[in-house]
Amino acid sequence: MSARDWHVADDDLRAYAVGAAQPPWLWSTEAHLAACPRCRQRLAEHVDPAAVRAGWARLDAELDAPRPGPVEALLVRLGLPAHTARLLACTPALRRSWLTAVGFALAITTAAAHLARSNTVPIPLLAIAPLLPLIGVAISFGPRVDPSYELAVVAPLHTFRLLLLRCTAVLSTTTALTGVASLAMPEYGPVVLGWLAPSLALTLLSLALTPRFGPVTAALAAGFGWLALLGATVHVTTGESVLFTAPGQAGLAAGAAASAMALWKVRAAFDTNRHLGRAADPTTRRTM
Amino acid sequence: MTTVQAEGLSLRFGRTTALEGVSFALDDGVTGLLGPNGAGKTTLLRILATAIPADAGQLRILGADPRGAAGRLAVRRRLGYLPQNPGFHQHFTAFEFVDYIAILKEIVDGRHDEVRRVLHAVGLDDHRGKKIKALSGGMRQRVGLAATLLDDPALVILDEPTVGLDPEQRLRFRELIAHIGEGRTVLLSTHQTEDVSTVCQRVIVMNQGRIRFEGEPSALAAVAMGRVWTSRARADGALAAWRTGNGDYHNIGDPPPDARLVDPSIEDGYLMLIDAASLAGAA
Repeated sequence: MSARDWHVADDDLRAYAVGAAQPPWLWSTEAHLAACPRCRQRLAEHVDPAAVRAGWARLDAELDAPRPGPVEALLVRLGLPAHTARLLACTPALRRSWLTAVGFALAITTAAAHLARSNTVPIPLLAIAPLLPLIGVAISFGPRVDPSYELAVVAPLHTFRLLLLRCTAVLSTTTALTGVASLAMPEYGPVVLGWLAPSLALTLLSLALTPRFGPVTAALAAGFGWLALLGATVHVTTGESVLFTAPGQAGLAAGAAASAMALWKVRAAFDTNRHLGRAADPTTRRTM
Repeated sequence: MTTVQAEGLSLRFGRTTALEGVSFALDDGVTGLLGPNGAGKTTLLRILATAIPADAGQLRILGADPRGAAGRLAVRRRLGYLPQNPGFHQHFTAFEFVDYIAILKEIVDGRHDEVRRVLHAVGLDDHRGKKIKALSGGMRQRVGLAATLLDDPALVILDEPTVGLDPEQRLRFRELIAHIGEGRTVLLSTHQTEDVSTVCQRVIVMNQGRIRFEGEPSALAAVAMGRVWTSRARADGALAAWRTGNGDYHNIGDPPPDARLVDPSIEDGYLMLIDAASLAGAA
């Protein structure tokens, strides 16, 4: 008897439909169903339509469920809720290219600090490290860098919350990477951690200035201000600066606290696009 | 309840007046917003979408005042907004991008089901898993529209969604917009008078930051009644004239005594309004 003459019996089809068929009969039935449209049609008569719909829905959900990228997957593994990880996955400063650039900058500054062994502080690292989160935040938020910025502003999720989420993520990653770079210079002692307070102060200051000047100008102002302050206080031969002494660090921490308070005061300005600097808003320049 | 009630909205960007004393009301159905570049359409839409506040005037959207944070949030929960350049995260798939917007919209329960629903509504079932960067312009606009429809908004604002689409894509998009306009308020900004004539129940014409016309599309066409004629040669003194496919000239303006008058279209009425306003502005 050829495969064309033979068809699965009704009872066997019914058993297959409810999942009661056992091997090897199960394998034989499946092989036949794959090749026989007539038996597939008969099988449909024995299957509950609701169960089929539910099955397709489950399959659909499996097929197009978002596949988290490496950063998103890592954030979920670290315990973040999936929806928060997705929001952070859009942060440019969490992309591999940016993290590579940060790593490269830290490697160079660490090498430069090793070369200048006569210094009592690793000034290249302490000067550059606070600028990294500053730049990271500037490229993570705002109309120029976030393609969906306008959609984010008019969404119910408060824009300030999104900003804080992304800033926290940027600060965390740069802090971790800079921490690793600091570990490579144990000879300098605790002063090697002198970048921490200015990192915080500069990032918070630029965020507090953002509603008035836009994210990029605010970051540039804070960055150049830092370099000017450092240039004015650093000793040329030893690399020492009052900024990396206990009083200097206390002053920078106070600056960070003051900036945090100022940021909290202007948080409502992040709720619309108007206050983030019209010069920084391409949509207002392009067309009215 | 009127969906949008605006009274005397004004906004300046530095020395530029973007909007001046704009008043109108919107109800259910599709309303077209026509106007040349720089007329203030996008500014008006961004104010209605709560992206920027007006300098002056009264505005109520879905019963809430968007000047306060609570009112703004109430509006945003029931708003669907498709900006002129939505801006997509190119590394996302269509599903992932709409899912991202769903998170921003704080959709918690059944979020993925909702994403599937809106992608189905815009006919993107078979493209859910494709990267945004691999989609055509028309498909991307559909992704944007799907994101706009999340959570079944009561007010949908679309800023020139048919720009850059080929004729077939434009036709399909119009179909979608007409469907979306059933039972909710849609404000559609466009340069295309065909968009207005095919899907809009009402039309607002803006120029130089002011509203020049508000009414039914047929009433906009009627603005040019008795002022559109055809001739064998280009007519002197016409506000606008162009040669048509059959070789005759289509003229708009004050007709000569022996003119062969024809029924005006929406485009004729629009051009009459804009040219009249421009002439008044120049004077």
